[in-house]
Amino acid sequence: MVMDYSFSEEQEMLRTMARDFLAKECPKTYVREMMEHDEKGYSPEVWKKMADVGWLGLVFPEEYGGTGMGFRDLMILGDEMGRAMLPGPFVSTVLLVGMPILMAGTEEQKKEYLPKIANGDMIGTLAVLEQDGDLWPGSIKTTASRRGDEYIIRGKKLFVPDAKAADVMLCAARTKRAEEGSEDGITLFLANAKDHAVWPTELKTMDMTRKQYEVDLNNVAVPAANIVGELHQGWPVIKKVALQAAAFLTAEMAGGMDWVLETTVEYLKTRIAFGRPLGSFQALKHRIADVCSDCEMGRSLMEWAALCMNSDSTDVPVAVSMAKAFCADAYLRATNAGVQLHGGLGFTWDHDMHLYFKRARANNTAFGDSNYHRELVAQYLNAEVL
Amino acid sequence: MVQREESAKAAAFRAEVRAWLEANLPKGWGTPEYVPLPRGSREAHEFGKEWTKKCYDAGYTGFGYPKEYGGTERPREEIQIIREEFGRTGQPPGPSSLGLLIAAPTLMAAGQEWQKKRFIPKILSGEESWCEGFSEPDAGSDLANIQTTGVRDGDEWVVNGQKVWSSASAFADYGMLVMKTDPDAPRHRNLTYFFFDCKSPGFSRRPLKQMSFDAEFGEMFFDNLRVPHENMLGELNRGWYVAMATLAAERGGGATAGSGGGMMAAAGGARGRMALYGVSSIIELARETKRYGKAVWDDPVFRQKIAQIAIEVEAASASGQRMMARRRKGQLIDEMVSITKNWNAEMRQRRGDMVMEIIGAYSQLIRDSKYAVNDGTWVYDMLRSRGATIEMGTSEINRNIIAERVLGLPR
Repeated sequence: MVMDYSFSEEQEMLRTMARDFLAKECPKTYVREMMEHDEKGYSPEVWKKMADVGWLGLVFPEEYGGTGMGFRDLMILGDEMGRAMLPGPFVSTVLLVGMPILMAGTEEQKKEYLPKIANGDMIGTLAVLEQDGDLWPGSIKTTASRRGDEYIIRGKKLFVPDAKAADVMLCAARTKRAEEGSEDGITLFLANAKDHAVWPTELKTMDMTRKQYEVDLNNVAVPAANIVGELHQGWPVIKKVALQAAAFLTAEMAGGMDWVLETTVEYLKTRIAFGRPLGSFQALKHRIADVCSDCEMGRSLMEWAALCMNSDSTDVPVAVSMAKAFCADAYLRATNAGVQLHGGLGFTWDHDMHLYFKRARANNTAFGDSNYHRELVAQYLNAEVL
Repeated sequence: MVQREESAKAAAFRAEVRAWLEANLPKGWGTPEYVPLPRGSREAHEFGKEWTKKCYDAGYTGFGYPKEYGGTERPREEIQIIREEFGRTGQPPGPSSLGLLIAAPTLMAAGQEWQKKRFIPKILSGEESWCEGFSEPDAGSDLANIQTTGVRDGDEWVVNGQKVWSSASAFADYGMLVMKTDPDAPRHRNLTYFFFDCKSPGFSRRPLKQMSFDAEFGEMFFDNLRVPHENMLGELNRGWYVAMATLAAERGGGATAGSGGGMMAAAGGARGRMALYGVSSIIELARETKRYGKAVWDDPVFRQKIAQIAIEVEAASASGQRMMARRRKGQLIDEMVSITKNWNAEMRQRRGDMVMEIIGAYSQLIRDSKYAVNDGTWVYDMLRSRGATIEMGTSEINRNIIAERVLGLPR
C-alpha cells in the first residue's frame, strides 16, 4: 500500500518543540554531568519538566492521565532524544513499564500506575535478562513461588536499566516448570523496586548515559494482584514490549546518526589540513557520503516502522525487525566514521562523538541485535514466499 | 514483497491490473518455459516496442507528463499499485531506448513547445526510440572534456567527432548529442545540446560488445553530419547545464528501477523479474539449491545475507516513498537521487555476488549452457550489474555529488 510519509502540522510542531526543549534542558554539559557524577543518571527537575510538556504520558489514553497521541509521535520524541543523547530512564519508564501495563494490565493497574508515570511521579524499569544476556525464554531462571496472597521472587537479573532510579520493577519470573526455552510458565510481576529484598548493583558499562544494574532478588514478596497480564503468560507480553522498544530505539538511532552526520560534516568544512578544508579531500568525501546514505536508508526504514506501529499494521514485526537490524548496523558504521573523520579529536574523551559511538553499541544489543532481527526477517520472508 | 493493508477500492484496482498483466504478458512469462529473445537483438527491440505500446494504450504508463504531450493522468495511489504489480511480476524489457529515461525529461525541462508536442507522445508510446551521445573516448566521468564539434552553417550545424558507450544506439530513431559549439569559451560554457535524426547522412554507428556478452551500447561517428538549428535543446553554449538536468533524470530512473518501484513514466524498470523483484526469487532459489547436501535456505549464514538484501530493497522502497513526500513539500534536495542511484547499483552487485555463492560451481555457466541455472539469468545480472555502478555517473562521481551538493562540502 502507498504510505504517506509526510508529517502533519502537529507532528512538525512536536518535533520543533522537542528539539527546542532538549537544546535547552539537555545540552552536552547536562549529559556529562548525569553520566559522570549523578548516581541515578537523570535530574528530577528535567524529568518533571518532561512530564509537564506531556512526554511521559504521550501515548497513554487521556483517561489514564495521558495525551492519547500515536506511536509515530512517540518516535518523533525518540528521534530527538537520540539526537540530543538524553540520559535517564525514559525508555525504562515509558516503554518498559508504562506500555506493558497499558497493553496487558488490569483496569486497576492502569488507573493506579499510568497517571503516576505521566505525571513524572514514578520511575520504572523492566528486569528480564539474566546470565546469558539473551532475550529468549530459556534465559529466565528466576522463580516466583506462591505463598498465600503473595509470590516470592528469587533470582538474579542482569542488564536491568535504571534500577536505582526505579520505584517499580516489572520482573519476569518462572512460575511453573517447563521445557527449556518454552514460552509457557513465565509471569510478569510488578515489584516495589525500593523493597529491601531488591539489591541493585551498578554495572560498569561503556555507555554511561544509561545506567545498568545487576539486581539480586532475595525473596522479594509481591502481591498476586501485581501480576501484569496473565499467570504463566508473561512472555508474549515481553515480546510485544521488546518490539515496541526496538521500534523506539530505531528512532533514537536515526536521530543519533543525524547528529553524527551533521557534526562530522561541520568539522570537515571547518578543519584545515594541508592548507585546505578536510572536506575537500575526496577520500573523506566518499566516507561521509556513505554515512549520508546510511542515514537516509536507516531513517526511511525507521519511518516505515513508525507508520506501521501507528496504524497497528500486520507489517509491524517485519518492519521493526528490518529497521532495527539496519539501523543497529548503520549507527555503528556512522559513529565509527564519525570518530575516524575527527582524527585525534574523535578519540578524545572531551569530544562528544564517543558518547554516540557507545550508545550505538548499547542500542545494537538492546532488544535483539542485528543478527537476531535478520533471522526474524528471514522467517517472515519464508512465510510470505510460498 | 511485503504485503500491506489497503482499501477495497485499491484492492479492486490491484486485481484489475493483475488480471491485465495475466492476459497480456507473453505466454509462459515468469516460468522456465519462457525463452526471452536475445538481448540487444532487433527482434527483442521490436518486441519491446509492441509491449510498450500495449502498456501505454492500457493507461499503465506515461505518468508524470501533461495530457497535451501524451501523458497519462491517474491518482497517485493507482500509479503506485501499477508499479507494484508490474514490479511483482516483472515484465519483458521495453525497446532499447533512452526515450523515457532521458529524452522525455530533457525535452520537458529544456524543449521548445513544438519539440515537446512532436516527440514526447511517441516516446511515451514507445513508437520512436532514442539514444544518447554524451561519453567520448576522452570524456567519460570528465564529461566537460567533450571534443565532438559543431560549426554553424546557416540554419544547420555541421558535426564531426565520435561518441562511445552510447546506450541504445543500435536501433535508435533519434539521438541526443552534446557537442562543443564554441572552441574559445571556458569549460562548461562551450557545449550545446542537440538532437538528430539517425537516418541523416554523415551518421554511422557500430555496436560495442559488453563484458556481459551483449551489446546494449555502441559507438557513434559523425562525419559532416548536418543537424538543423531548430533541433537545439536549451540555449546555445549552455548544453552542460541541460546535460546535468538530463543526468539527474537518468539517475532518478535508474534509482527507482532496482527497487520494485519503476520509473516515473514507465510501468516498471523493464529489467525483468530478477532485477526488480529479486528477493522472492532468491528465496525460491535458496530453497531449491542444495550445497553439501543441505538446502541453502536452511544455512543461517545465507539466511542472514538474503535477509540483509531484503532489508536493503525495502529501505530503497521506503526511501523512495519518503522522497516523494518530501518533494511534495518542497523539502527534497534533488541531488539526493545520487544516494538512491548508488544504493541500488551497489546492492544489485552484492545481490549478484551472493547468488553466485548460492549456486557455487554453476555460477560459471552462462546462457545456452546445458546446466545453466535459470538459463544464466542470474549470472547475466551479476555481470550486467558491474555496469550499474559506472553508467549514469560512476559511484565515485555520485559520492562527490552527495558530499558536495547534499552535504555542502567544498569542491
